[in-house]
Amino acid sequence: MATRQRGQPARLTKKQKNENAVKTFVSAFDSSEDEGPEEVTFEDSKAEALQSVEQALQSARREKDLLKEKRKKRQELFQEQKKRKLLSDEVLEEIDSSQKSHSEEVQDASVTSQDEVLHMDEETKQENEKLENSRKLIGNYKVTVKPSELASSQQKMAEDFIQSRLYGPGSRRTTSNQLLSLHNKRAINKSAAVEFTKKNWAEKRKSKAEMKKMRWRHKHIPSS
Amino acid sequence: MGEFTVHRVRFFEYMPIALRAMAYNHRSERLAVARTDSSVEIFNFSDNYYQEKVIPGREGGSIEALCWVGLRLFSAGLSGEIIEYDLENLQPKYTVDAYGGPIWAISSDNKETKLAVGCEDGTVKIFEILKDRIQFQRNFERQKSRIMSLSWHPSGTCVAAGTMNMIRIFDAETGHSAHRMLVERGVGAPRKSEVVVWAIIFLSNQTIISGDSAGKVQMWDGITGTLVQTHLITKFDVLALSVSQDESSLIAGTSEGTVVQFQFLSSIADQQNKDWVRTRTFKNHSHDVRALAHTDTAVVSGGMDTQLVVRPLLDRVEKNTKESALHKILFPHRSLVCCAKKSGLLLFQFPDHLELWRLGESDGHGKPGDSLPLKKKPEKLIHLKRKGEDNIWCSALSPCGEWLAFSTISSVRLYRLQIHDDDICMSKVSKLPKILHNAQQLCFSSDSSKLFASCSHSSVIVVSLSQSECKYVHTLKPKSGSRQPVHLLYASDDGKWLAAANTGGEVHVYNLEKMKCHCKVPVYSSCPTALAIHPVSQNLVMVHADQQIFEFSLEQKEYTRWSRNLQKHGLHPHWLKRDTPVTHVAFNPKNPAHILLHDMFMFCIIDQSQPLPDPQSQLSNQMTLKSVPECERLKHSHAFKICKTFQPLLCATLLDDQSVVVVERPLEDILTQLPAPVQQKKFAT
Repeated sequence: MATRQRGQPARLTKKQKNENAVKTFVSAFDSSEDEGPEEVTFEDSKAEALQSVEQALQSARREKDLLKEKRKKRQELFQEQKKRKLLSDEVLEEIDSSQKSHSEEVQDASVTSQDEVLHMDEETKQENEKLENSRKLIGNYKVTVKPSELASSQQKMAEDFIQSRLYGPGSRRTTSNQLLSLHNKRAINKSAAVEFTKKNWAEKRKSKAEMKKMRWRHKHIPSS
Repeated sequence: MGEFTVHRVRFFEYMPIALRAMAYNHRSERLAVARTDSSVEIFNFSDNYYQEKVIPGREGGSIEALCWVGLRLFSAGLSGEIIEYDLENLQPKYTVDAYGGPIWAISSDNKETKLAVGCEDGTVKIFEILKDRIQFQRNFERQKSRIMSLSWHPSGTCVAAGTMNMIRIFDAETGHSAHRMLVERGVGAPRKSEVVVWAIIFLSNQTIISGDSAGKVQMWDGITGTLVQTHLITKFDVLALSVSQDESSLIAGTSEGTVVQFQFLSSIADQQNKDWVRTRTFKNHSHDVRALAHTDTAVVSGGMDTQLVVRPLLDRVEKNTKESALHKILFPHRSLVCCAKKSGLLLFQFPDHLELWRLGESDGHGKPGDSLPLKKKPEKLIHLKRKGEDNIWCSALSPCGEWLAFSTISSVRLYRLQIHDDDICMSKVSKLPKILHNAQQLCFSSDSSKLFASCSHSSVIVVSLSQSECKYVHTLKPKSGSRQPVHLLYASDDGKWLAAANTGGEVHVYNLEKMKCHCKVPVYSSCPTALAIHPVSQNLVMVHADQQIFEFSLEQKEYTRWSRNLQKHGLHPHWLKRDTPVTHVAFNPKNPAHILLHDMFMFCIIDQSQPLPDPQSQLSNQMTLKSVPECERLKHSHAFKICKTFQPLLCATLLDDQSVVVVERPLEDILTQLPAPVQQKKFAT
């Protein structure tokens, strides 16, 4: 069979494979038809077999080692990335210290006498000015609720729901002009559709032109 | 009669607001209507459907449902709060947060002790109604989806709640759900789409009626929790349901704008197997019908096309009378336009801002019916936005055009204007007397030296205005001690008298020189809709909601001869059949016998020197008189000269220079700006 000019080389068919096998067999036969078989000692063959086994083992080990190294490298890379993401130790220390001092202050405020409490309350009030409606939870956490946003978002969602049910997709709506045009079409004296000509065309342009006219008039006509 | 140049004003871009919810109080015959800008209006159905009270809304406020408890009015909206309204001071009395997220439905039981509220988080919350507040009592079992509609059983033992895809019946004692009924999706709807049960009613014979977004009205048995009947009335949503007090007639409002009536009838003449049968369909709206009320004799509907339509049912009312006519309420029954007579300025009141315009000028002369060319176009001088969230309640412009005042629920603001040809200077008067914190009605005196503001208990606060400051002078209190709000104020031209009318039908006249109550006009059964004091004869002219006209002499403290004559003769039947109230009365400075009135569809000049019309003769005969020769005209002409050329009218007044200002708002302009209606396929289009 001729070789193809394009595309992948054709795979050998079964017939061709058989022919190849026969050829090698035949060539082996042809080369040493009269001579006797080669002598291969037992030890040699044993050594050969052992070697081949060793080689196989080694290659397997090498592959394993390669994989191990790859894994190690990946782990190191991830650790480095993680380190970069987290804040540095210094910053963490600072935050810790500030939180502790804040909690200490609040505790102090509750412990000291009434006069001092008043003063401290004022200070904490000033500090908490921004955090109105805030409550303290366990573990130095504060919760603030912004009620208006939540309520208005719910209201907006409800409005969207009703808008989509009545005017959204699948509601088969048309415009008021279409409705009026239908009336005109079916009336006894049939007339044109409503807004057949668009009267409010180029509104901005027209208003700009008006302004320019007024300015020109003020400029050029001697005003009293 | 006279020729007038008419300023035809069509640049007041007034947009009415869509209706969202309504509730009818059978005891007091009042209808409370909530609009999408959270304003509430109260209509008096026994007084020719007059819009008695208006409670302005807030920006960002929303009302989803209204409920009457006795004579108290509660509303609930998407802000999660239940609001009770003070109907005497026209403000919210207090708000209670339900803490359940946005509220979709509110309903009270027949004994008027408990209020149930359906919330976004799936809970039905019960509040106890106490004498002057409400208190949270308990929650019912929490559901997984939002509660869209609620209804109490008349005995108060069960509550039916419509949620997404299902209806639950709760037992009021235990709060647990006794039955669960699943509502089917419409044919052809995708599997993921949920059906919303928009409205639900619990009848006394344990039937539950539900209207859902698949267009079905379904009847369920409340004892066993099973479906009895289904009626598919529309391809779109069924948004509202209402049942009559005797539970024999049911109405359902749809997204297409149709209102379908069902009646509890038996198909054969015997009483035994009665069923809900679909009877009538009313097509009075072009857009979605979101609010319905069933009175004893009529079907009231309102929705996104901003019109309130009252359709009397012909099997409960005599035919061909005024009672049986269809009634459409389009515009508010109070004046939104203030005209400064001396300076030709117009003040337009919008819910969130005010606009001051100067009228155009023309110097042409022409025949009657011509439109004259404009020498100077009308221009907008000031666009004033309100500060804060509350909508504008009332506004006033002084006759000389130098002072401007407006009031919201929380504050009154006064501005001094100086308008020369092109220079406009506006300065706010910052220190107002503390007693003036809000005003239901504002009025300037004719020489712009005093401002009158009405406040609680029907009293009027008088404040004097000088160059840049204002001082409190006096509070005028009526002798009767009424607590109803004042809705009309008028100061006479010579500065001597002040007339104030309240929604209880009382008109008080105060003497401004002595700062005392001068007299009280005998109370008439109908509420006054417009009043004015004649500059020359000092007679108080009042027009009431049932179209009666009275003239009261202030000096003699009795009705004038002309007024008594009019009552004896009786008004023409066509005049009495008009369905929109007169909102403005004005006078002609050159001819003291003329009174100019207008309502939405006509303006009329009453000539007191001419004879009154016969009941058999034609009332609006101006057009026919023109074609008749001169000698015959005198025989046929009468006192009421009606002009219907300019419609629909928001305001018509006379300026000092003998020209008439007519503010129109064409309905097509409103219709083109309404939100999207549903698409309906009509044959051959």
